[in-house]
Amino acid sequence: MTTTATKTRIEFDDKTVRQFMIASIFWGVVALLVGVLIATQLAWFQLNFNLPYLTFGRLRPLHTNAAIFAFVGNMMFAGMYYSTQRLVKARTASDLLSKIHFWGWQAIIVAAAITLPLGLTRGKEYAELIWPINIAVAVIWVVFAINFFWTLARRNEPSLYVAIWFYIATIITVAMLYIVNHLSLPTSLIHSYPVFGGVQDALVQWWYGHNAVAFFLTTPILGIMYYFMPKAAERPVYSYRLSVVHFWSLVFVYIWAGPHHLLHTSLPVWLQSLGMIFSLMLWAPSWGGMLNGLLTLRGAWHKLRTDPVLKFFAAGVTFYGMATFEGPLMSIKAVNALSHYSDWTIGHVHSGTLGWNGFMAAGMFYWLAPRLWDRKLHSTSLANMHFWLGLVGILLYVASMWVSGVTQGLMLSATKEAGTVLAYPNFLDAVTSTKSLMHIRALGGAMYLVGFLMLAYNIWRTAAGAQPVNGTIEVYVDEKHAQKQLSLAGGFINAPVVYSVLVIVFATIWAAFGGIVSGLGLCGLIATVLAVMGHVEFSGGKWADWYNRLLENSLPFTALTAMAVFIGGIVQIVPTIVINKAANIEGVRQIPYTPLQLAGRDIYIREGCYNCHSQQIRTLVGDVLRYGEYSKLGETIYDHPFQWGSKRTGPDIAREGGKYPDSWHYFHMLNPRQISPGSTMPNYPWLFTRRTESDLLPNKIKIQRRLGVPYPEWTKEEIAQSVAEEEQAIAVGLRTAGAEIEPDREIVALIAYLQKLGKYEKVAVPKPTQHTAAK
Amino acid sequence: MFHRILVEDWQRVLTIISFSIFGLVFLLMLLRVRRLPREEVQHLENLPLQNDTDDHAR
Repeated sequence: MTTTATKTRIEFDDKTVRQFMIASIFWGVVALLVGVLIATQLAWFQLNFNLPYLTFGRLRPLHTNAAIFAFVGNMMFAGMYYSTQRLVKARTASDLLSKIHFWGWQAIIVAAAITLPLGLTRGKEYAELIWPINIAVAVIWVVFAINFFWTLARRNEPSLYVAIWFYIATIITVAMLYIVNHLSLPTSLIHSYPVFGGVQDALVQWWYGHNAVAFFLTTPILGIMYYFMPKAAERPVYSYRLSVVHFWSLVFVYIWAGPHHLLHTSLPVWLQSLGMIFSLMLWAPSWGGMLNGLLTLRGAWHKLRTDPVLKFFAAGVTFYGMATFEGPLMSIKAVNALSHYSDWTIGHVHSGTLGWNGFMAAGMFYWLAPRLWDRKLHSTSLANMHFWLGLVGILLYVASMWVSGVTQGLMLSATKEAGTVLAYPNFLDAVTSTKSLMHIRALGGAMYLVGFLMLAYNIWRTAAGAQPVNGTIEVYVDEKHAQKQLSLAGGFINAPVVYSVLVIVFATIWAAFGGIVSGLGLCGLIATVLAVMGHVEFSGGKWADWYNRLLENSLPFTALTAMAVFIGGIVQIVPTIVINKAANIEGVRQIPYTPLQLAGRDIYIREGCYNCHSQQIRTLVGDVLRYGEYSKLGETIYDHPFQWGSKRTGPDIAREGGKYPDSWHYFHMLNPRQISPGSTMPNYPWLFTRRTESDLLPNKIKIQRRLGVPYPEWTKEEIAQSVAEEEQAIAVGLRTAGAEIEPDREIVALIAYLQKLGKYEKVAVPKPTQHTAAK
Repeated sequence: MFHRILVEDWQRVLTIISFSIFGLVFLLMLLRVRRLPREEVQHLENLPLQNDTDDHAR
């Protein structure tokens, strides 16, 4: 201890931790309850109750958003607030900002819980919330970030433990992903269109969607693992060195893997390849981290028999290992051809969310509760019972989804007669064959829910009547620490960074160009490497000193982390944004929707049809035989948002237009089983009574024009006339088929939209030049 | 660029470049952590175990 250090007593803000923990448990129950309900709806369609607010398409986004942002979000904030204060030996910088963060986040969740069942959605998975809520999320996230970095700036521990690194990566990357994927132009207070369309929107969405898993459901929980597992096991992490490698390789690689959600689709092949390769490489850091977590329990394995905290942590980390093995496996194109759009994906995400996130949350809550309320856990037996019930629940859920997914994948792609005819031409064969597995899935989910209710009861009994306590610590404040701080510029303008930039630039020139330019790139690369070797020789180890100083300076460290994730984002997204759309549409171009079709599309999105129906025919034999020619990039370029979907509970409808008469859709939406016996699709009776909101169309079309959709400059009257004429034509046709309906009802607009799907115009394809082919 | 069925030659190098970038990052970090001083590692890995008053309140 230096003579400049002074002793100080610090009381931590554990009230915020308690609040987030209680909120997580409450919203966890809600998320699981809705999950069990929608799982049951897939077995018994009657549980949709013919009510718009309770249909699968509207409740599934509520379930996913509640599980991700409400349950795991609140849990992660609880863990971050608790561990950060202790790791940096400082109280959270601002109690006011903590309060704003907590109450703001809960207000956002309540707003989501109200708007999603009302059908107010952006139509993009895990990004459904309407634009005013998006802005609130961004503001609250910034409040959290300010509070976090302010706390780091006031810290009394110079070094930043690896858990803090994971928290920094979370804050920076989630902000970047959320803002880019939610860029929209509002058409009203409750509706907007995303600025990206078609393939661009698909790529941005899954860049976000995949990394929401990575940086919302994984990196913060890894930080929590690196703090709470050593605490619970009462021994340091197995290998701190491995945790450093784990962090950098994970952060650098994860961001590139998003395109694996779009394999065999209209996405350019080079992006699909990138997504697949980086997903496979994720195996290494993920398993490095998983093993590091498990081996932290070395010498403490005997405690697992009695300690529920360690049980949950050990099982949680094991599920992390399983999920991160399965994910790369499913990213291999050949495997993905079988698994994608099937229940296998659903099983995969649930082994991650229920097993990894849910069990880590449970372990952390059981560990925290006695400390936050200064009382022994109410019942260890109940916690153990929760563990076994939850574990069996997950296994039932995941195993049934594996079997269901593989069955669906095999049946829907099976062919006969030398691959020219589908073996199961009726899509419903796959639905009815897997129905019993839906029962097992619902049972597994219900068991997990009951286990979680046990946790809620146990924590409540622990806290009831107990005095909440805030932890305190006595620290020596080192005044010399401030002198070690690097400026932001100092973190970048130095030899290691300059050399790294030169290596990247020369390597890119070498790889991307041909002839003499490529040769110059190689020469530059060799010269830089030689310069590095010379510099290291003469500097006498100062580079290591630079890196060590970086670890004690959160700002340059944050900027470096941001750079690591920006690179992956820029390389993937920028080329698809700047590309001239018209020149790359594979010979077909989407015809913009008529005003009525656009209104029908908004109804399709409102009802969440994309949760069960895809609009993307993959370049696979089974898909092409079943649904028609594979989808071309040009067919969806004006779709804001894209509606390619991620799951086929029902068939793909990319070429639905003209396949059936209008009356087929009419009766199918009224009662799907009347047309398709065995279907689990809900009835949509309200579409037959509600009027189409055609008065909103002029503004919607104006916004679409601004987004680049080539609509003529219609007047309001022209739009109204177009709507009326098309409605009348469809209603007359329906009447002759025995379906009496007022022309201005929503079902008419929806039929107009469905009958448009798959219609496009052909355009001349420019031949690739010799120069392009040589690249 | 967007013609999916015709795989252009330049796309073949992407997998190699991807692996090289990852390998480079991985290798650099491995080399770096090998050079981390033992005392520094011990200090960092023990940070979560430095108890506060909560740890006595079970």
